[in-house]
Amino acid sequence: MRTADRVTAALLLAFAVAFSVGALKQYQWWGPGGPGPAFMPFWLGLAMALLAAMLLARSIRQQHPGESWLPRGEGLRDLLVVLAATIAFVALLNVTGMIIGTALYLLVLVRYLGRHAWWVTIAIALAAAGFNWLVFVHWLRVPMPEGKLWIF
Amino acid sequence: MGFGIAFTPFNIMMAVAGVLVGILIGALPGVGPPSGVAMLLPLTFGMDPTSGIIMLAALYAGTMYGGTITAVLINTPGESASVVTCLDGYQMALQGRAGPALGIAAIGSFIAGTIGVVLLMLVSPLLARWSLSFGPPETFALMLLGLTTVTLLGGDDPLKGYISMLFGLMLAMVGYDIISGDARYGFGIVEMMDGIDFLPAAIGLFGLGEVLAGAEAKAAPLKTSLRLRDVLPSVADFARTKWSIVRGTTMGFLVGVLPGAGPTVAAFLAYTVEKKVSNEPEKFGKGEIKGVAAPEAANNAAATAAMVPMLTLGIPGSATTAIMLGGLMMWGLRPGPMLFEKNPQFVWGLIASQYIANILLLILSTLFIPLFVRAVRIPYSILMPLIVVFCVTGAYSLKNNLWDVGQMLVFGIIGYFMKKLGYSPAALVLALVLGPLAERALRQSLIISDAGIGILFMRPISGVLTVLALLAVLVPVFRAFLKK
Repeated sequence: MRTADRVTAALLLAFAVAFSVGALKQYQWWGPGGPGPAFMPFWLGLAMALLAAMLLARSIRQQHPGESWLPRGEGLRDLLVVLAATIAFVALLNVTGMIIGTALYLLVLVRYLGRHAWWVTIAIALAAAGFNWLVFVHWLRVPMPEGKLWIF
Repeated sequence: MGFGIAFTPFNIMMAVAGVLVGILIGALPGVGPPSGVAMLLPLTFGMDPTSGIIMLAALYAGTMYGGTITAVLINTPGESASVVTCLDGYQMALQGRAGPALGIAAIGSFIAGTIGVVLLMLVSPLLARWSLSFGPPETFALMLLGLTTVTLLGGDDPLKGYISMLFGLMLAMVGYDIISGDARYGFGIVEMMDGIDFLPAAIGLFGLGEVLAGAEAKAAPLKTSLRLRDVLPSVADFARTKWSIVRGTTMGFLVGVLPGAGPTVAAFLAYTVEKKVSNEPEKFGKGEIKGVAAPEAANNAAATAAMVPMLTLGIPGSATTAIMLGGLMMWGLRPGPMLFEKNPQFVWGLIASQYIANILLLILSTLFIPLFVRAVRIPYSILMPLIVVFCVTGAYSLKNNLWDVGQMLVFGIIGYFMKKLGYSPAALVLALVLGPLAERALRQSLIISDAGIGILFMRPISGVLTVLALLAVLVPVFRAFLKK
């Protein structure tokens, strides 16, 4: 936690300074009769820089390394699998389409996380994809990404 | 007039659906009221705004009760307003009195919710009329107070809370400036010019973020079953707790009206007061039924009261009402004092539907308890991927584009780290919603001011609010800084 605090505080400090400097350089400070577009971002960046500096100072003075917060072993593996599957699901939406993508995503994750029997997994995937189709495509008429696999 | 609108079959159906889904969402650990409202909001876009808000308000009331089920049965609050209920509720369950605990919570919630709506009906028009005299300085000061109190009460590390809030405000600066029309921090990306939409952000932070945080720690499965007749509390239980319910309701409403202090704070306060006024304070924490009744009444009263500032001032007091406010704006309604004059059918329909939602909540929560208990037993390995799917479809259907889905994903990852490292996603979302409004109010104040920023202190109402907000920032931040 202490290391994480130091890293986030340093990143936030850099971000805040860049935010304020960027506001001053790019946008007008004072407009007709009142503050311009640079006004609010500048002060926000300054306040953030102050708080980030306080966090940095606090974490440097801190004696104990604090509790570890990153999961290890099986927990970390599960987290990474869920994250990777979700990113792949979103990234491939244009290829698979929403309905097929949903079914595939559920098929992979439900099976991996719970080791449920195949028929349970398939039933859940089909039910959820069917629900999605019924509510969003059929009822609400949301134009879902169709994907390139939809050959029917 | 409101009842005529709320009593159409479709609206009653929406209220039933809202309550049922709400109880379910409240009961499932890892999905709280803000994610529930954020994920269901896209579903309401096809409806009339009145039906939409009726469903969302019923859902909010349902989540308050749903959280109680898991708090009592497995000592895991389904959402933060039920944290205190664990103290005595779980003890009661261990003594075999889970039924009465849930039953008194349902009755307490019903009474509190109903009284809450009566108060909402009486207070809102008065407040709306009074706030018509508010100028930009008052509006800005009120938002500042809302932001600082949410942050202050939201977590145990105020410094990280304020960092979360500022981060939200900074993100709110992205996109076109409302006054000059300049595009800020867009980096030439067309989608960025429209600003960072808070709905995908909220779905990501509360939905996906919670799922990721839960992926590594699997929740313990529940091994209880309850039958309907176990849930009905005895007359003696009710007689014992009737004043606790009244006290809880009063406190819940008062706390709920304040910007920033929502159901969670109300429940904690009600529990503390209940222990103070009790003749036998030593019984608390060991299965005292008053320790369940009072906070449960308080969180429901507060959830109703939270509608007051949202509807009358257009200033949400919590992440959940912030998302509802976003819904109102997407439906083309402008919350604030004028809402009562321009859209009376909307306001009174909502208020009347709250009465109905409370009755439904009482009936459904007792009738379907066995069903909800079973739903809580759905393994996390099935629930979690389903929530992600709902987050993705929800984010997509907001505006039918994949940019929002990507944004949701990024905020999901940010939400994971925020949760793990002790930051406050609720403060971020509220800041993201209020950011543009606060900026406009501040700049308008400075335009009309002869004394620069001093205008905030020179007008009585905004002066008091600003000083309170400043105290909320300065005191805890410096204390936390000096302590460690």
